Amino acid sequence: MPVKALRTTSTARNGLGAFILQCKRLDFHYCDHWGSSRGMNSFLTSPLLPHLSLTNPSIHISISPRPSHHPIIRASYINGREKVICVRNLQKEQILKKVELLRDAGGEKVRRVKGGRVVDSFGGIGREGVRGVWSPYHGEGRGVDWGRGKVER
Amino acid sequence: MKALRLLRWSGAVLSPRTRPCCFIHQNQYRTPLPFKMLRPQSTAVAPSEEHLETEDNLQELLDPRPPEPTIEDLLRKSSDRGRTESILRSLPSPPPSQAHKSARLSALHARLMLPPRLPLESLARCLVDPSADINPHFNNSSFSLLGSDLLGLYTSEAILCRYPRLPTEVMFAAMYGYCGPKTLTSITREWGVEIAAAPGGEVDPGFLQCKRVEAGNASVDGTGTQVKELPKIADTPNQKPTLGERGWRRGVSSRTVKDDYFGDEIKRTELDYAERPELYLEDQQRKFEKGVTVEDASSNFVRALIGAIHLHAGKKAAYNFFKAHILSRHLDVSSLFEFRQPTRDLSRLCAREGFESPVARILSETGRKSRTPVFVVGVFAGKDKLGEGSGSSLDEARIRAAIGALKGWYLYSPLEVRVPSQAEKGKEWEPVLVDGGEVVV
Repeated sequence: MPVKALRTTSTARNGLGAFILQCKRLDFHYCDHWGSSRGMNSFLTSPLLPHLSLTNPSIHISISPRPSHHPIIRASYINGREKVICVRNLQKEQILKKVELLRDAGGEKVRRVKGGRVVDSFGGIGREGVRGVWSPYHGEGRGVDWGRGKVER
Repeated sequence: MKALRLLRWSGAVLSPRTRPCCFIHQNQYRTPLPFKMLRPQSTAVAPSEEHLETEDNLQELLDPRPPEPTIEDLLRKSSDRGRTESILRSLPSPPPSQAHKSARLSALHARLMLPPRLPLESLARCLVDPSADINPHFNNSSFSLLGSDLLGLYTSEAILCRYPRLPTEVMFAAMYGYCGPKTLTSITREWGVEIAAAPGGEVDPGFLQCKRVEAGNASVDGTGTQVKELPKIADTPNQKPTLGERGWRRGVSSRTVKDDYFGDEIKRTELDYAERPELYLEDQQRKFEKGVTVEDASSNFVRALIGAIHLHAGKKAAYNFFKAHILSRHLDVSSLFEFRQPTRDLSRLCAREGFESPVARILSETGRKSRTPVFVVGVFAGKDKLGEGSGSSLDEARIRAAIGALKGWYLYSPLEVRVPSQAEKGKEWEPVLVDGGEVVV
């Protein structure tokens, strides 16, 4: 039998070619009457919001009332997850910080990165490293310095 | 290669045809169509049936007639919200004027960094599958036909120029890996495109609109029977039996010539459609009634988008888009190989290339008598080492060494390659390597 082939799919490398921002939608909810929405309401009427939408055109921004509730920001991500932050009693500058936090998030749950995984070779854990696997049978080998100024093999 | 002036094309291709240009179009209009198919796209009016019956009426077509009120006119005039809604609901897909009202659509435009010359209306049209709107002036079928060809061309030349010695089967699998329907579906998902629950004129144009095929485990009319348990109706009636059904041999060469670019058999070709145009309508109608899978709709969308970019912004923009979104994805081509008898393949290859016949020799070993022995075996042709491999038995190591040698040959990649479609006018074209192909065993 000649050579056969296996079918797979290619995997995305976001940012290697095009970069797709993972946050795709931001919903701002406010209340007209509750005091906890004061900062949110001033954020929504301030030039911060138009500036935000101009600098991030790839995010779909929607604003809707949520009467008799605290103001929230809801972000939807490409992986299908949502993140919600309640911004009650916050000033507009503080709200902007929260918005930036949501915008820059990847949508995944925040998990502690364990020590062994901090530096990862291309392709993930268990894959061969770029430099290959070290083998004792190949190459020049490393000599042992016996303290006589000469390396013996 | 002479650069084509695509800007001129885009207008001609996008504007609705007022006269039938070819046999297929004539027949499309001659068949009794529902009112929706005669929906005018903008100010130009689609030809109605009676005007195409005879050649004598051609003159009448050319004469200026009072234009019929279009959907856009009606929408503009209707101040009542309920009236607008009812007009929109009567349409199978959102009218082009709605494209500028959709935040979702313009966010998608920005997210993909599409060229500004690609208007939102065209992006919206790319998102309408033929199963949602059967009218070819409003769905993405023409875009996706062009985009599919472009995608096939760009991907195949990229793979072939990068790996000129790749066996044909692996080449097909690599094509499937880069631009197969599964990949295009995941690309659509990674672009953040959502699929509308049901298509319609009132739906936000930023959603991918398609009519979904019924789920296999849905019950039939409230009975306990599931859809997948029903006897299967032929997917495409009036269809020629496939080569496999006729008992013909489908070799690799036949697949290169007759099949699509993944090596799968084509059920109906463009030639079939040209010979019997009613087949085309029939297929479209069936898709419209039966619905399509999400995979079909999403891969059509990606292809249509590439076609639309090519039409509006030109060849270079389309190629850059392809490079950024499809070629930049990771595919380990060396993992696509599946060898059956690598040692025999290698000796055939050496015989063909005029090398000495390959000999396996132990390079080193450890723990032969232990529970975990390791042998390192090299395959040599004369004094040249072709490949080496390690394994816990001599045979395993020898086979790994042969696979390594074969992959080393087949995965040869020249350092700097320019693909044929990127040949420029001023520069001299350096021909790329074309190899004899894989060994025939």
